[in-house]
Amino acid sequence: MSTTVTATSRVRADRRVWAPYVFVSPFFIIFALFMLVPVGAGVYLSLTEWAGLGSPEYIGLDNYARLLQDASFGVALANTAFYTVLALAVVLPTSLLIALALDAKGLRLRNLFRLTYFMPVVLSPIIIALIFGLIFDGRYGLLNAVLDALFGIPPVAWLTDPTLARVVVVVLVLWRWTGYLTIFFLAGLQNIPRELHEAAELDGAGVVRRFFAVTLPQLKPVTAFIAVTMLVNTAQIFEEPFLLTQGGPGEATLSISMFVYRAGFQRQELGYAAAAGVVMFLIVFTLGRIGIRAFGVGRTR
Amino acid sequence: MTDLTRRQLLQLLGLTGAVAGTGALAGCGPSGPAAPVTAGAVDLRMWTHDPGYATFFTEAAGDQALVAGSPWQTTVDVTSIAPQDIVSRLVTQAVAQRPLPDLAGLVIDQFPRVMRAGIAENLFVDLTSRTQAFGDGLLKTQPYSVDGRVYAIESDNSISVMFYRADLFDELGIPADVATWEELVEIGGEVAARTGQAIGMVSNGDNGAIVNGFVQLLLQRGGGLYDADGTLTVESDEAVEVLELMAAGVRNGAFLALADPYGGAVAAALKNSELVATVMPNWYEVYGLQANVPDQSGLWRARTVPAFADGGHVASTLGGTAFAVLKDQPGTEAALDLLERTYLTPEGQRARYDAGAYMPTLTELYDAPEFQEITDPYLGDQRVFEVFSAAAADMPVFYQAAGASILRDSLGGPILRAINGQTRAAEALRTGVEAYERQVSS
Repeated sequence: MSTTVTATSRVRADRRVWAPYVFVSPFFIIFALFMLVPVGAGVYLSLTEWAGLGSPEYIGLDNYARLLQDASFGVALANTAFYTVLALAVVLPTSLLIALALDAKGLRLRNLFRLTYFMPVVLSPIIIALIFGLIFDGRYGLLNAVLDALFGIPPVAWLTDPTLARVVVVVLVLWRWTGYLTIFFLAGLQNIPRELHEAAELDGAGVVRRFFAVTLPQLKPVTAFIAVTMLVNTAQIFEEPFLLTQGGPGEATLSISMFVYRAGFQRQELGYAAAAGVVMFLIVFTLGRIGIRAFGVGRTR
Repeated sequence: MTDLTRRQLLQLLGLTGAVAGTGALAGCGPSGPAAPVTAGAVDLRMWTHDPGYATFFTEAAGDQALVAGSPWQTTVDVTSIAPQDIVSRLVTQAVAQRPLPDLAGLVIDQFPRVMRAGIAENLFVDLTSRTQAFGDGLLKTQPYSVDGRVYAIESDNSISVMFYRADLFDELGIPADVATWEELVEIGGEVAARTGQAIGMVSNGDNGAIVNGFVQLLLQRGGGLYDADGTLTVESDEAVEVLELMAAGVRNGAFLALADPYGGAVAAALKNSELVATVMPNWYEVYGLQANVPDQSGLWRARTVPAFADGGHVASTLGGTAFAVLKDQPGTEAALDLLERTYLTPEGQRARYDAGAYMPTLTELYDAPEFQEITDPYLGDQRVFEVFSAAAADMPVFYQAAGASILRDSLGGPILRAINGQTRAAEALRTGVEAYERQVSS
């Protein structure tokens, strides 16, 4: 009898030990299968030359050496850096300003504004690119027509001038993501206790002082999250330049993701594409870690 | 059982993952080659990007005028896939040893992807024995050849002619029979200065569009990107001449510089009658002109392309989609039979023309009475094959190579700068070729 009781309690104890692991195991199994295995395969592929069929031929670090000498990859890196820096420098402050405006007391049609700003997020990128193509077309574009009608400015080659094309891509990023990020800032603003503003006001702080002394510090966790998310997303930018300019004119708007896509799916150089993908992963991972550390994401307040 | 440590858990999960992964991959493994269907009912799987081909093959499979006497009773199961994804999926399916289609439509600029690493040889049936009997009588086999072997058959000759607004040519005093490009660009410049209207267009958008426009004229001039051996030939006197003509045309206003030859800007230029002529392939009449300016029906005409003063052709080619038959599939033999009946017989080519105005690739048909009698209401009831016959008789040959995509990206920027007058033509070509050689040799 005592043996049976001991055995039963041991089974129960074993179940208690196993239970938490069983519950969390699906994540780890799926993570291993769909994240670690593909990443490992990608790293291995980056050390090979492979067009898709047959066996990959091991070539060591040749793909990485080729990347270092590839002017196109340098252009893609520079363009991606341009997009990332401008996205952080322009999109982030713009989102915050719009959120502040939407959070203002007594604002009419608040929900309409929110809906309007959020709309680009749910629109198909293809439609967005099509519309932007019509707006920024150098000859028949809406923007040039407006500039000509109002200021007599001659047609501007928005999409066919290398520098301007990059700027238009950033404008597209701005237009597409500002509303989305505004929602996060708005949520953050609404969580700031009103008493803090009232106390600052009683102490004689004006609007600007209250913004820098109360609003910004209180928004730090939200800002940090948005900044890191934006940093990581923009470093992998693909849809905007791909749909708007196909990386052109020339390679003026080519991003690293497009470079990877081009090598893999337009040139059938899968090993080379994998090497570029690994480099992109390292860059994004490093930037993400730097961002997390710099902005203090996840630190307890 | 003792307490489970974290290390043990990870080891266990690793083992579980490995077992699960192996099992899953084993489940995805080859199911073994299916037995070929040698006669009777067969359902051919076809991948294409174009609904026009889907409709044509589906109907042709049941058209007794085409398939009478065939050992197979064929139906066609079409999967619609974007052009670039067709090649990607063919390769991934082949690697995973999963079922492939029996027929696949390959857009011409995607074919270079299968020209490397033996992909075409491994995936597709060699069609050379079926095409070589026609000799030069079958057009556009070269772009779909690897080492002289043909792996796909063109659907549409994509023969470039000049479409022009007959009413506006009359009004503007532009002779419809201008003999050379040099004359036409000069006249175009005068017209542009007077009315702002253009007699042609060049693309200043993405690399593909920029280079395609250049190549179309380069082929007409007698040049090319590659020769039959796949050797790069783009740095030539002909290429310089073409690029200089394009730049001159943009400079004097004879050519409109538009980002996308098929997009909204062209539609606007056509609607505003700012673009009064353009050199484009036959299919542009349907996809460019009729689609954008149906109201201009009857006003347009077609003619052969004005020649370059120093030589070349009166026609060119741009674009195209060829069909390949996949090896070792259950329906491979039936697919070959259907492709042969629809693509390599006069009846099949006529059926394709009737179905979607796909221009024949058999040269003998251009002078056949049944084609010569065809009139085109959009082109003012013009007997179009009088034009296309002359064009087909002088159509340049177009060769591709595995590095064609790299070449396109390397040339796009320099050509654009040359068109915009920011660099000289020869210098632009040198820059592009150097960039290409750096990439293909590294």
